[in-house]
Amino acid sequence: MSFALISEAVTRGIPSSNQRLQRRRVPIAAGSLAALLLAAGVIAQQPPQFDDLARQAAAARDHGDLPQAIALYNQAEQLKPDWTEGWFYLGLLQYSTNAYPAAIDAFNHLLQLQHGAPPALALRGLCEFETAAYDDALRDLEEAVKEGAANQPRNEQIIRYHLAQLLTRASRFQDAQEQYQFFAAAHLDDADLQVGLGLAGLRVPLLSKDTPSSNRPLYQAAGAAGFSLLAGDTQEADTQFRQLFTRFPSAKGLHFFYGFLLFPHSPELAIDQFRAEVSLAPENLEAHAMLAFTLMIDGRYAEAEPEAQHVLAVTPDMELAQLALGRSLAETGDIQHATEVLNAILKRDPDNLEAHMGLATIYTRTGNREEALREHQLCRSLAK
Amino acid sequence: MSTSSAARWQSSASRLLASAAVAALAGFLCAPPADRPALAQSAAAQKQTCATCHVGVATSYSHAPMRHAMDLPGANPVLETHPSLTTQIGQYSYSVQTKDGKSTYSVTDGADTMTLPIRWIFGIHSQTWVLEKDGHLYESYVSYFPRDNGLGITPGDTRITPTNLTEAMGRKISTWETLQCFTCHASGAVSGVKLTLDTLRPGLDCERCHIGSEQHMTDAQHDNFSTLPKSLKKMTSEDVSNFCGQCHRTWDTVMRNHWKGPAFVRFQPYRLESSKCFIGTDPRISCLACHNPHEQLKHDAAFYDAKCLACHSETKPAASAAATMYKACPVAKANCTSCHMPKVELPGGHAPFTDHWIRITHPGDPYPG
Repeated sequence: MSFALISEAVTRGIPSSNQRLQRRRVPIAAGSLAALLLAAGVIAQQPPQFDDLARQAAAARDHGDLPQAIALYNQAEQLKPDWTEGWFYLGLLQYSTNAYPAAIDAFNHLLQLQHGAPPALALRGLCEFETAAYDDALRDLEEAVKEGAANQPRNEQIIRYHLAQLLTRASRFQDAQEQYQFFAAAHLDDADLQVGLGLAGLRVPLLSKDTPSSNRPLYQAAGAAGFSLLAGDTQEADTQFRQLFTRFPSAKGLHFFYGFLLFPHSPELAIDQFRAEVSLAPENLEAHAMLAFTLMIDGRYAEAEPEAQHVLAVTPDMELAQLALGRSLAETGDIQHATEVLNAILKRDPDNLEAHMGLATIYTRTGNREEALREHQLCRSLAK
Repeated sequence: MSTSSAARWQSSASRLLASAAVAALAGFLCAPPADRPALAQSAAAQKQTCATCHVGVATSYSHAPMRHAMDLPGANPVLETHPSLTTQIGQYSYSVQTKDGKSTYSVTDGADTMTLPIRWIFGIHSQTWVLEKDGHLYESYVSYFPRDNGLGITPGDTRITPTNLTEAMGRKISTWETLQCFTCHASGAVSGVKLTLDTLRPGLDCERCHIGSEQHMTDAQHDNFSTLPKSLKKMTSEDVSNFCGQCHRTWDTVMRNHWKGPAFVRFQPYRLESSKCFIGTDPRISCLACHNPHEQLKHDAAFYDAKCLACHSETKPAASAAATMYKACPVAKANCTSCHMPKVELPGGHAPFTDHWIRITHPGDPYPG
């Protein structure tokens, strides 16, 4: 099945809660798709009655008579339940008419016949989102993106928007921010997207539509500042964040959000923000862990160590703090303790690059040339 | 006074004058930015600079590559000695013209022409120019390459096929990339997340590595020597790699970014640390064991032989009396780097680059890493 053509169809049929992503009901190029599928052997010769129904269904669809098209596709599928093209259009048309449970049923049939077909996964995921089956929607949309469903520029917006929302709801905030990066790079942002990024940035596991109206201004303003930074306008972002700090002086998570965005580019600046966050919210162990890890990355090992110790005293299993502690101890001379901490990480996670880098440091700092060489080789293979 | 003694006096006087001139230049180069305009005034010329006390190293450093990591037009010998550089790439013609200390960069498609002043010159051998258009900074699409004695596509930009005159002019640089470029090629150019071009000083000045040197200079004028900058001589080889790697990239940085291939051969600390002979506790194998950042780079392979033989020799050099010695090379005792630090062609770089991953090489070996 041609993904390009299918995704073209998907693009035309998928609605959105976003103004830019509005539904456009455009007749679908059924003829060319059918020809392609026929050429690919997907459509076999059918009994006349089936052929008639299929033709009539396509004609009804092309004329925008969606109820009639849906009825005809249903009839055709009763005659030939392994007709993949029929299930796809049946699902797509039902999705277009907001008949989400029926659409999910059609895509279920299609996915039983064509396991993992990205367009069907993406559409089923969007239907599941609308029926509030959020865990299923997240699973399907993630899989669809992994399989290339977002490779078509026009599909990408709607798929990534919903995926970002679902990732936030699932408390996978960093993954959600990566989805919003796409919109920032394309200089796409509006109120919904800003609220979405604000929620992810402030670590609030909610969908935008479920956000209490009283908190929307904070999330939207935080998201707007985040979009400025993700789009590369650092000065504007800095101004917006500083205004936010003044406007919402007791809001927790704002400094963490800014620090998290700064971290890949400037650990030094990120540290200032994480410090401000833990000052405002001393109970925020994630902020303490990020502070410890960032201090370690920035080579400020003596400062990283107590921060990591603070986190591990409460949550001994937090790996980020363990990595910060292990490397910091290695760099500040407590080789035995550092080795224990790093080896404990590797026992659970043998391919942890950062832990191996810590061990490499230990060996090179203690003059153990053979082990240093071995760890360096291991790191290079892990970093491929 | 005899002719010969007069000649000697004249020679001594010339040397003194020359020394004074060099010291003044070094003082200017090492002066804090606020001092620079004042140097033109005789009263302000009395102000202290790093060179006031450290005249030798300041003089030497004034010629060092890092001091010229960035230059301004009018201060760069390449453009001064190549007043007209031209090339044709695809449908676009490029021209770099230098006159009266000013350089312009032009690109034309035959119908339209874009001409911009060269704002900053990055690089001391091969050089790339940073241009400004409509408030945005651009990396020039063509650079100067000494091996070609002319212009070619800037390394990394060969993947770009310009579709209009602006794209043909250069690649728009992202904010973060701009901050990184100016942090490592200039001094005083970055403050937090902001590019502070009004306080930019081209190249790396003393304070860039010797943090606290400006405070030390101020305090020293009041006989206070308690605020000395941290001594960098006491760093271990591992620490030196990490220090130099702030700009030349550390082993950690390369690993964390999963960088692979010959494009990263230019990151020497990472390559050196990959060497079998590297160990963080041995001062005989570190950036500073071979290179003095205050001096011009030595290009003579024989210069580095003593560095290799400090470890790989059948007899211990006096300086290595207490240190472990390693297997001596069975093939040669000279020009070690010519075999063990092979030159690698930097992709798109129009120049070979010395691979600092020291190793035994065999014909046909793939590039490691």
